[in-house]
Amino acid sequence: MPRPNLAPPDAAPLREALRGIRFLLRRGGATVADTLTLDALPDPAAGLAKRMIREVEGLARSVDEAASAAAKGVLGGHDNPAEKLDEIVGHSSAAAEFGRAIYTALDAVLRRIGVDDAFISEMSARAVFAAWRQDHPHGQPQDWAADLTLRLLAARVIRGAVPAGSGSIGRVEPVAVFAVLLWLQSDRSESENEAVLEAAADIALARATEIAATIGSGDQGRIAALYRKYVDHV
Amino acid sequence: MSKVRLTPDGLPPTNEPLRVAVRRLRWFKAAFLKHAEEMGAELGSRFEVDDTKLAAAFTRWLDAIELQRPADKSQRRAFFEFAAALMMRELTVDMPLKAVGEPSRAQTGSAAAFWPEGYCCTLFCLSVHAAATAQEFHADTTIDPAIDDLRHWWSFKENTIRDASFSAGFLQMLLGSQPNWVMPDVFRAKPRG
Repeated sequence: MPRPNLAPPDAAPLREALRGIRFLLRRGGATVADTLTLDALPDPAAGLAKRMIREVEGLARSVDEAASAAAKGVLGGHDNPAEKLDEIVGHSSAAAEFGRAIYTALDAVLRRIGVDDAFISEMSARAVFAAWRQDHPHGQPQDWAADLTLRLLAARVIRGAVPAGSGSIGRVEPVAVFAVLLWLQSDRSESENEAVLEAAADIALARATEIAATIGSGDQGRIAALYRKYVDHV
Repeated sequence: MSKVRLTPDGLPPTNEPLRVAVRRLRWFKAAFLKHAEEMGAELGSRFEVDDTKLAAAFTRWLDAIELQRPADKSQRRAFFEFAAALMMRELTVDMPLKAVGEPSRAQTGSAAAFWPEGYCCTLFCLSVHAAATAQEFHADTTIDPAIDDLRHWWSFKENTIRDASFSAGFLQMLLGSQPNWVMPDVFRAKPRG
């Protein structure tokens, strides 16, 4: 009897849900600790409140660890793909590949920028790409990247990004998305992949004001020109 | 002949011509970090490099090259040298590195002991230029003996802190060219000869 040809289930929605839980728990724990000033409470209320928060934090930590382990281990982590945007576009599973690439690269870029914890929506990136492809994109890869940049930001592919410390760059989202799409267009070998992503993030940080203003204008032509300017210099 | 030793062979490998590789941040940064590490070891110090400042210097350098590149192909070699001077200017506008601790192995009264950061950036620009010139024009780079004269380094540091364009002139002088000291970072104003 011939075996039925079953496609493996798509783990991405579950992965996204687990990442969402992990983000909420991490952010929730930080918010409680930052908000309450327990030292101002009189005893025994202060002692009771501290014990309760410790218990809640312990619970949150164990769920967070389970969610992280599940998201990374059971459902599989990603390596940064070495393929370029114009190569991915031709694949049958292009939207899923694009979503994974955006998630993995944004995660690395946000950490480099000093954002340790933000929610990155792989599913939004995937949906953005699918819709963009249906609209029959035209022009050069830089024009595609400009269009995708605006669509990704409109879909809020990054949520809850707060830069840490004094090195704040203001508008994190456009700068991070620019860095990732610049990397995605760059010629690179597999061994250079990480260094190129780092270089793209460094360029985006160094030119953060110019990039944020250009993307903020919503002018696709100007955004494409900015990609064109840097794509061979990453 | 200067005692200063350039290290063009110490630059990271690349499959591309150096003139192309140097205009990619991945290679430029790897080369700068390697140079700073080796220079630190040689001087008995350590250099901390600020990645964002380095990237900012690099992108400003790209802008400067684009702005000043001559259309006349006969000026290609002269502009090659000038590009190194512009790189020097951008590195000194906002130094991307800082020496941590005294350079214990640098000779007392030497340029390296006097201004380790300026010395490191200068030798980086000269080394990249020497390697690229050798590859592109099959020519050796000769460094002017002025590099061993501490008075030039005093002047270099003092003037560069006031106006970074001075450093472009300093580098041209070390490469044996006569800079236009009024506008040392303007290629069109460079004396011909």
